Amino acid sequence: MFMNALLAGLTLGGVYALVAMGLTIQYSVSRTMNLAYGEFLIGAAFAAYMLFGTLGISPYLLAVVIVPVAFGLSWLVYRIMATPLVRRAGTGMALEIDSMLLTFGLLFAIMGILLLVFGSNYTNYSYLAVPIRILDATVPANRLLSFVAALVVGGLGWVLLMRTRTGAALRAVAVDPVGARLVGIDVQWAAGLAFGLGGAVAALCGVMVSTYLTFTAEMGVVFTMKALIVVIMAGVGHVPGALLAGLSLGLVESFVAAYLDPGLTVAVIYAVFLLVLLLRPQGIFGRVVR
Amino acid sequence: MLEVKALSVRYGRHLALENAALQVKSGEIVVVLGANGAGKSTLIKAVSGLVPHAPGGRISLEDQALHALPSHKIVDAGLALVPEGRHLFSTLTVAENLSLGAFLPRTRAAAAESLEIVFSIFPKLKQRLTQIAGTMSGGEQQMVAIGRALMTRPKILLLDEPSLGLSPLLTSELFRALPGIAQRGIGVLIVEQNTHQSLAISQRGYLIEKGCIVGEDSAQELLKSPAVQKAYLGG
Repeated sequence: MFMNALLAGLTLGGVYALVAMGLTIQYSVSRTMNLAYGEFLIGAAFAAYMLFGTLGISPYLLAVVIVPVAFGLSWLVYRIMATPLVRRAGTGMALEIDSMLLTFGLLFAIMGILLLVFGSNYTNYSYLAVPIRILDATVPANRLLSFVAALVVGGLGWVLLMRTRTGAALRAVAVDPVGARLVGIDVQWAAGLAFGLGGAVAALCGVMVSTYLTFTAEMGVVFTMKALIVVIMAGVGHVPGALLAGLSLGLVESFVAAYLDPGLTVAVIYAVFLLVLLLRPQGIFGRVVR
Repeated sequence: MLEVKALSVRYGRHLALENAALQVKSGEIVVVLGANGAGKSTLIKAVSGLVPHAPGGRISLEDQALHALPSHKIVDAGLALVPEGRHLFSTLTVAENLSLGAFLPRTRAAAAESLEIVFSIFPKLKQRLTQIAGTMSGGEQQMVAIGRALMTRPKILLLDEPSLGLSPLLTSELFRALPGIAQRGIGVLIVEQNTHQSLAISQRGYLIEKGCIVGEDSAQELLKSPAVQKAYLGG
């Protein structure tokens, strides 16, 4: 039972980690709390479902197309949305509130389109649900792959942020946008890039979960909420932190379900969340240097 | 040479800067003196593109027009600002702060050389490369901020109240370093309340009052001028 709970927790945690990493990079660089984040994930899930159904191509291969398209759309949304807002907003705070309200509207717009195209039915299909034996437990390959994807995205994200000039520019904008302008970084370029990257990660996650999860057009907000919890727990802008916090949250959830009661998972998650907020308001990995 | 003409800035209906004009030649240190709220900071922020200026203002750096450029392009053109409050990347190390100064392609190839120049001006920074910038003292942070600005290979360096919040000892240390920067052919424009020390290292100065530049003279003349004595040097 332990091994089963561990594997279930890691695969679930992989999904949490993925969504949180995408959201944290979007928010920390662009200062836009994207409430329509989960809609990108569900949109990608539907795209994978539809393309797999019509073309019969493996969803993992489809991701090669869906993820860059999501990057482009996400980038475009930011450019269209942010340009007038940045021009108008007097302060950073005003911009943050305006853009959050805008993404709130975007949430309903995307959801509406998805409802129109795919209806409100529960949708699911199965791909690569073959059992993989690890020690004395089994886990479906498609679920295991979410965990692998989380590790890969976490690793690539770390390399991008810590080892490349572009990543250094993104971190600079996250820490001090004015300072970034003063060394010649185009802050709007960086914000657009981060927004695109976040959207791409959301879409990757959407494709991964579509292979085993039942989803509806109205489910995006569930992912946004989970991502938000993990991001706040880890400390905003901390990509490896989001990976660790996401995995931990998944483990907590599956162990509570296995050893206590499946009905308690949500309560325990929020209790952990509350505890972290009380003890470390800046997040587990967050720093308060300013 | 930096040349500013007819520069005005409005905050809503309030005219914070009116029709300002000034020049800074390469290798020259120029100070802008004025009381709190006279428009010194506004002037320097408008020149570097951090606040928008009213139409009609002209800013040029060696024949390149800067007044219509966004701030990151202004940096690329060779004008660097060390802002009030420094705006360092406080959670990053000193080394990361400095290397981000050489972010632009124009400055990248010369990054190692720029770093040597920064170390020659602020030798202290060499031992502090791995320290998180936000954990340093105010004076050291100011050195990092100036160092970061120098990494952008500026032709003109703007300093907004560099002595603010520093002890007298650190202020002297900082001001002593500035002629070394000007000797490299960089024009330095300082906005300061610390009139005595800034005039002592400057060649020229401008006086600003209620958003208008009301006087300009050599630093020696300004130090002797009764008006300056009365207004800024405490009698």
